[in-house]
Amino acid sequence: MIKNRLARWVFGSTFVLTMLVPAIAFAEEVVAEGDVAWQASVGKAMAAGLAMGLSALGAGYAQAKIGSAGAGTLAERPEAAIWIITLQALPEVIVLLGFVSAIMITG
Amino acid sequence: MTTGAPRTRKPVSSSKDYGYSNARIRGMRSRLLTRAYFDELITAHDISALIQELSGTEYGPDLEDVLIKGRDAATIDEALKNNMVRTFRKVHGFLNEEAGYVLTTLLGRWDVFNIKTILRGKHMHLANEEIAEGLLPVGYLAQVELDALAMLEDVRAVVDTAATWGLPYASAMRAGYVAYMRSGELSDLELAMDRYYADWASIRLRRRGPNMKLAREILERQVDVMNLVMVFRLQKSDIEGVDVESFFLLGGRVIDLDFYKELAQMSDVDEVLDRLRGTAYSKALDEVAVSYLEENSIAVFERALEDHLMRKAAALGTSDPLGVGVAIAYLWAKQNEVTNLRIVVKGKAVGMPVDRVRGELILV
Repeated sequence: MIKNRLARWVFGSTFVLTMLVPAIAFAEEVVAEGDVAWQASVGKAMAAGLAMGLSALGAGYAQAKIGSAGAGTLAERPEAAIWIITLQALPEVIVLLGFVSAIMITG
Repeated sequence: MTTGAPRTRKPVSSSKDYGYSNARIRGMRSRLLTRAYFDELITAHDISALIQELSGTEYGPDLEDVLIKGRDAATIDEALKNNMVRTFRKVHGFLNEEAGYVLTTLLGRWDVFNIKTILRGKHMHLANEEIAEGLLPVGYLAQVELDALAMLEDVRAVVDTAATWGLPYASAMRAGYVAYMRSGELSDLELAMDRYYADWASIRLRRRGPNMKLAREILERQVDVMNLVMVFRLQKSDIEGVDVESFFLLGGRVIDLDFYKELAQMSDVDEVLDRLRGTAYSKALDEVAVSYLEENSIAVFERALEDHLMRKAAALGTSDPLGVGVAIAYLWAKQNEVTNLRIVVKGKAVGMPVDRVRGELILV
């Protein structure tokens, strides 16, 4: 239980720092142009990062679950392989949507 | 030797992924025989036709392995038994830690069943082979261990060996053996084992979480059924001077000690059925009340309660699709399927009418 909690904290902190560092670095570049522009740019960068990062995490989680269940199904019903591969690939759409969202936010 | 381990093995909290095992079990469940298929089997001409029908199912490889011994009911029975044991072991092999823990506990009743079979065999001086035929090693004890117990000389040797191996039931067996020696009644020893199992299992399942809760529910229903069966047996026998409380098993869901004593003291079965009205078991028992009047045998109640337990366990597969319920439901359904097939085979072997065979089956 403690190990789990520790792992969650480490993962969470790393994730937040990964998201914040580029935003802060980018913010230092634009700070001279004025507060409003700086805030907007930082906000956009963070939002794009979140859209991409969270969608990737969501897709990863979904694929992990589908993968383990798919492996179980294939062990007993190999004829379902096409279905399993299709289902395994479906969550990729979530990442694509996140990617498109990120581009739309920054662009 | 792997004996004794169930006492110390604990579920690991990080191993609770049911995705793989439940998907695999659903795949296996899709191959369970359907009601329509059973209808076909019942109407098969003879044993050879049955073998031919079953060869195209999950039981095919097991039949192939034993058919060299002959094409009779006993051979099919052996194949069915082998299939059930293989399936239970297979499922146990790929479950996660928590599900494995839960099932080791619930399937402990098969260990009790097997040890009781051996003790009965030794008590009645049956041949070792005859005892071995009645064993179903789907619990914690493997075939080799049960065979070794079945080869022993007498009841005392079985009790001593169980203690040497450190089996969880050994202490209860030793205590029951003292009572057995005093009275000469094997039921004393059997009761001690049943009581120990009910306590042992309820302690093991006294953990938090929805899966443990669900397993506890199954165990409590099992204990209720055992207590109710005892009540019906007491009704049929002369209980003057008998301490009915000594047959009670703790840990039931509906039947507590007071209720049990009240039921056991009633004058006839009708009163018991009336008093049970409103409980979870009332409907199942009322449905067979007429059969009881016709046959005058409490076996119909025992079967109705088993049927009820089976249906409850099978329903878990749908009510708990993301937990251990899927595995419990499948194993109970598989056990029921094998029981049904054995009834069909035995019915065919003795020329039982089709309607009678159909009436004996529990089709969930």
